[in-house]
Amino acid sequence: MTVSHARVLGLTVLVLALIAVPYALPALGANFWVNIIAEILIWSLLAASVNLLLGYLGLLSFGQSLYFGFGMYGVALSINAWDVGFWSALAIGMAAASVMALIAGVLAVRLTWHYFAIITVVFSLIFYFAAMSMKWLTGGDDGVSFTPPPVMNLGGYKLLLTDPTAQYYVILGIVAGCFALMALIVNSPLGLSFKAIRENDRRAALIGINVYRTRLIAFVLAGALAGVSGALFAFFGRYASASYMFYHVSGEAVVWAIVGGASSLLGPLFGAGALIIFRELVSNAWEHYLIAVGVITILVVMFAPRGIAGSWNDLLHKAFMRRSQGADPNKPAAVIEEPR
Amino acid sequence: MNELVLALAVNGLVWGLIVALIALGLSIIFGLLDVINVAHGDFFMLGTVGGLVVATSTGSFWIALAIVPLIGLILGAVIERLVIRPTLRQASLTIVTTFGLSMIIQEVVRATYGAQPRRMAAPIDGTIPLFGINYEIYRIAAAAFAALFLIAFFLFLNRTKLGTWIRAVRHDPETATSLGIPVTLVTAFTFALGTAMALLGGVIAAPITTVDFRSGVDILPVCFMAVIIGGLGNLQGTVAAAIMLAVLEGVVTSFVDPTTARIASLVIMSVALLVRPHGLFAGATR
Repeated sequence: MTVSHARVLGLTVLVLALIAVPYALPALGANFWVNIIAEILIWSLLAASVNLLLGYLGLLSFGQSLYFGFGMYGVALSINAWDVGFWSALAIGMAAASVMALIAGVLAVRLTWHYFAIITVVFSLIFYFAAMSMKWLTGGDDGVSFTPPPVMNLGGYKLLLTDPTAQYYVILGIVAGCFALMALIVNSPLGLSFKAIRENDRRAALIGINVYRTRLIAFVLAGALAGVSGALFAFFGRYASASYMFYHVSGEAVVWAIVGGASSLLGPLFGAGALIIFRELVSNAWEHYLIAVGVITILVVMFAPRGIAGSWNDLLHKAFMRRSQGADPNKPAAVIEEPR
Repeated sequence: MNELVLALAVNGLVWGLIVALIALGLSIIFGLLDVINVAHGDFFMLGTVGGLVVATSTGSFWIALAIVPLIGLILGAVIERLVIRPTLRQASLTIVTTFGLSMIIQEVVRATYGAQPRRMAAPIDGTIPLFGINYEIYRIAAAAFAALFLIAFFLFLNRTKLGTWIRAVRHDPETATSLGIPVTLVTAFTFALGTAMALLGGVIAAPITTVDFRSGVDILPVCFMAVIIGGLGNLQGTVAAAIMLAVLEGVVTSFVDPTTARIASLVIMSVALLVRPHGLFAGATR
């Protein structure tokens, strides 16, 4: 067995386990956990949008909550105003987030390093404060609620989100689709130019890569991912709230991406999964579980800077190869270098 | 109306001087260690909570003003050793470690001090008439304290040996090492000093703001704005930008609601960042 066999096996087990969730967990008497896993899937997309920028381009965005919020409101407001269907609302949420990401990105990707982190958080704060004060439109902190339309309407049979199993599979399908699309992109020539820019943007420019345009494309893609995440979360909670546009949501996504392992495609899923499961297990027993989350976050950065997925890959390499190739366990997953 | 604008401008100046003190702490940490300290707002919050707790238990605000910054100095040194130093090589990762730190600080305060926002009585009572309104004397005293500590900081940085070391390490750590300056120690002290300044700002601000475990979240963006608009590593620029922003926000607040004023200053910051990424005063000093 080689490393790639082990990877395929691991992925197969993961997919089968995720498909089995709505049947396996209730059989174990843990119905409640089906919704938790669904929530993890949704949040992992937001963490993936951070990862796309940080892990593949070396840009740390601290403002992905803005596009998450646009995804949420795109769904909630379009359903309330025009009574659109499920897929149209999802598309509107994603489009709203992408357009916002394009506008913000045109300005933001001019900057790199610390400046990029700060301009993204500033943009998200502008719209957070605006959304909080425009209560007539956004409902502010309380948000706006809506009734989700049926996902499909096949000759009288309606696939509704009120059925937890149906809802879970709809979310799993869309999230899996997004991750598959991301895998295609990062392995395409475009994805290679992402990595070239991450390693050295000047050399990338010298071999003919348009650095600005490539960064902008990645920023819009990340915005779209965050938008889908927000749209799904709106369907999941049946409401949209301006409080999700605050920078703490972005910060959590960054933590998930790094704990999971930036520059690894599925890392964000593991990071979001580990920390949300931890929250669910501990928050009932200990009110101040956030202290433990903070400690874990710091310890991961200190002792496993490549995150869960990075450490797992290192383990695979050690187990199946005499000499490990490529991956240097001491090299952190994402490096942001000061511009020279 | 004109008088109200002037009064709000003065109020902005008071707040700006306090923010300048806190932002200066952030700026030296940023400039010297390259650490984006997301927990800096929470250090300020610890100052307000510490000020309230010490002042009520000892009965004197002035004892709090003396003790709490010293606690901040020790706390900063401990945090630097435990959390910052092991991850110093990674600018992106220090955002994550300090975010974790921010979670820990907020939650510890919520667990011990409580989630209820409180108000603290001003240590100096009374008001004086100022531009047609009755202005609290303590606010003017707070501005004076902040200004005094700002002057003391720059004297320390420019006139003492330790201050010279700090500047030398910021300028060129390798040369500083070869000249025998204990760089690791100076780095640790700089972080501790930055922390202490945030706590000091917190104590001074405690009687004029709400003492709440969430208050750091509000002040953090303001401090970052001052640091960026002033120019990374430009300490005088940070002070100037903090005062400018606060006065501007105060004046704008007299025409529109506070949220719009906040949005306006964020927009100004975005423009500044895009047009002059190295700060408004780039090239003016140094």
